Amino acid sequence: MKWITARRRHPLAGYVVVILALALFGVGFAALAPTSDEARAQTLSAEAPSPEDVDAANGKTIFDQTCASCHNYDGSGTYDEDGNVTNGPDIREVGSASVNFQVSTGRMPSMDPENQMPRRDMVMSEQDLADLIAYYDESIRIDGAGADIPYDVPGTAPQASDFEDEDAYQAAVEEYEAEYDAYIEGADDVDMGMKLYLTNCAHCHSWSGGGGALTDGRWAPQIHESTPREIYEAMVSGPGAMPMFSDGVISPEEKQELISYVKTLQAEPDAGGIFALERVGQVAEGFIGWTIGLSLIIACAIWITAKQRAHD
Amino acid sequence: MSKTTQAPKALRGVGNYIDDRFHLAKTGEKNLRKVFPNHWSFMLGEIALYSFIILLLSGVFLTLWFKPSMMEVVYDGSYERLQGVPMSEAFASTLHINFDVRGGLLMRQIHHWAALIFVASLVVHMLRVFFTGAFRKPREINWLIGIAIFTLAMVEGLFGYSLPDDLPSGMGVRILQGVMLALPLVGSYISMFLFGGEFPGEDIITRLYMLHILLIPALLLALIVAHFMILWHQKHTQYPGQQRTDKTVVGTPMFPAFAVKAGGFFFFTFAVTAGLSAFVQINPIHLFGPFTPTSITSGLQPDWYMGFMEGSLRIFPNTLDFTIPIGDGYPIVTAVLVPGLVIPGLIFGALALWPFIEQWITGDKRARNVADRPRNAPTRTALGVAGITFYGVLWLAGSNDVLSETFSIDLYLTTYIFRVLAIAGPIVGYIITKRICLGLQRRDRETLEHGYESGIIQQLPSGEFIEVHKESSAESTHVLKEKPALTSTALEEPETDDKGVENPDARKGMGKLRRSLAHWYTKDDVSFEGVEPFRGHHTQDEGH
Repeated sequence: MKWITARRRHPLAGYVVVILALALFGVGFAALAPTSDEARAQTLSAEAPSPEDVDAANGKTIFDQTCASCHNYDGSGTYDEDGNVTNGPDIREVGSASVNFQVSTGRMPSMDPENQMPRRDMVMSEQDLADLIAYYDESIRIDGAGADIPYDVPGTAPQASDFEDEDAYQAAVEEYEAEYDAYIEGADDVDMGMKLYLTNCAHCHSWSGGGGALTDGRWAPQIHESTPREIYEAMVSGPGAMPMFSDGVISPEEKQELISYVKTLQAEPDAGGIFALERVGQVAEGFIGWTIGLSLIIACAIWITAKQRAHD
Repeated sequence: MSKTTQAPKALRGVGNYIDDRFHLAKTGEKNLRKVFPNHWSFMLGEIALYSFIILLLSGVFLTLWFKPSMMEVVYDGSYERLQGVPMSEAFASTLHINFDVRGGLLMRQIHHWAALIFVASLVVHMLRVFFTGAFRKPREINWLIGIAIFTLAMVEGLFGYSLPDDLPSGMGVRILQGVMLALPLVGSYISMFLFGGEFPGEDIITRLYMLHILLIPALLLALIVAHFMILWHQKHTQYPGQQRTDKTVVGTPMFPAFAVKAGGFFFFTFAVTAGLSAFVQINPIHLFGPFTPTSITSGLQPDWYMGFMEGSLRIFPNTLDFTIPIGDGYPIVTAVLVPGLVIPGLIFGALALWPFIEQWITGDKRARNVADRPRNAPTRTALGVAGITFYGVLWLAGSNDVLSETFSIDLYLTTYIFRVLAIAGPIVGYIITKRICLGLQRRDRETLEHGYESGIIQQLPSGEFIEVHKESSAESTHVLKEKPALTSTALEEPETDDKGVENPDARKGMGKLRRSLAHWYTKDDVSFEGVEPFRGHHTQDEGH
């Protein structure tokens, strides 16, 4: 401690303390902050799960336990006398794409029906979700209303934890990546994808897919983590404040162009420098221009005028 | 002083050759010995000058490849993602600069970062001049030139931002057109004239290019030269201190010391700009993609210096629009007209007029070469802070969607917060700043009377503990003692003359207004009259 005591009045001591404190906070925050390594479940089959693989009875148990308190046992929702939704809306005609989107992105079951749900990890296993969807299609859904799950669009990547051995996992990853690349590269009209995205999506999700603020305290989520299938499902089901873009409005081929455009853009490296400012754009640039650019130059001005000899 | 040494013979030969023909020795001697006061805040304007030089040089580089044309081409350059996309030649040539010209992307980023720093340094330089009263006689004209440079710099930046014809460019131009259209009577004509038809037309890039690389830079250059020549003639102001008066300057001679410092400072400015450009991505037009009139995106702002106009557009209520009942009705879109033109007009108008208003209030017609300490002009300082607060609130409001998303605040709530702040903020800022200034003035008087608190505790024979106050240095004492008293000639004229006849100036409207403003401007000033340095009862030599 003597070493510190002797130097605590050193002119640079203050700066050292500040730097150490900042480092401590930075490291501490990094240690405490939730990591974004999301545990992704595995749905990669390009086809719907076959009836032998799913258990609708298990699906009913899950539905009654986790969904029915808001959406009612028959999926008809909960409403007051005036017809306003109290807890959850009628889901009999939303379609299985909507169910898959809401549950697989962790938005349902909702912890607070009053508020918009953020994206989080799915609360149930992949198998449970398949069972739930089987039960929904069989018993809740009326006349196959709404959109089906687009099984031919790539979903989430396989997770190592779902596989017994490393080889099976590697094989699954390769299969998934081939499927993913085939879907993304299958689109070849960048202009169409760009125009569709910038005309229909960017005014909420922003040009980079970074999301943005909406009215009434809601927000358009960022779509960096969204899989092509989730984007597709969101378009055909119109979750929350988002309008529905059915296959009649934007055809599946156009949707592929659009999804390909935004996923390719997101994967694009930042040519302009290692600090891309999260692609926030001008607000971040102005902030950096003042706080780093101008401040450094002014600090230099202070430095070069501080030293002066008597006769120079 | 060291003894004069002879210059080397070769140098002398060249020197004599030039001097025999141009007689520069005398001018050179005079100007090279010119004295510059040594304080960092006098370097702020130089940042602007150096950024402007960087802008000129990097801009020339960019013009070698940029094609200011809206002709549609299908891109087939080396940026694969956009191959096959129809776009304007302007955008395609910008992509070419980015990816096919060696160093092109770096130069574009240098040009853009230098622009952001250029306008930012103009602002801090202007604030320094304002708060130290350096705009007073004889420098009013240079102040006006400065305001003109600031205004032109913003327009220049806006036009430059619009040239690549990428997504944010087009959206910026669209807002510009919207503000034009809101002008009563002439709006649609001006818009049609500028765009050569309907938005976006095929001419706008070419026209903005001419303005951006020719007309406005030429005006800026001329104004900067004038600004600098006037400065050279009038010299800097200087902060109060010993031997510094309205008639003598204390500082470093131009050559060699100041020239070395200033030269080094240029390279530092360039280093920071280049460093930012190398590591921090700015305006990635290749990611944005080309503009089409149907494209629109959230989370996009103009460059920071247009942010306050964006903000005033965003928070101004739309309930004040009205229609003049002529014919089918003639709408007056105040929700665009007021925030888009009136508010910036008020801000810049007030800035331009302030030196003259202050002179009118105080009646101070003397040449002032010693700068004010901001605390010694409390009303002016408080007004300045009120202005900064107003500008700052509008500026923040321009990014309300980004703030709303980043900090999870309801978007509408931010609008209401900014509406309240835009009005309450300046008032609170004014009051607090004025109180702080007056408090500092009182402390100055306290220090002058009693000396500074030395931190030494002394026990007196009686057992009492006192803190020893010591005399300040001669320099500080001089600064404190020389605090100018805030006065106004308006208050010196009596209300009535010795025969009881009312002063005609005090009776008329303008005279009354001037008197009440003079009262408002000077009333709270702490008087240092009769204060004798260190004659208070706390100083050591006085005992206690």
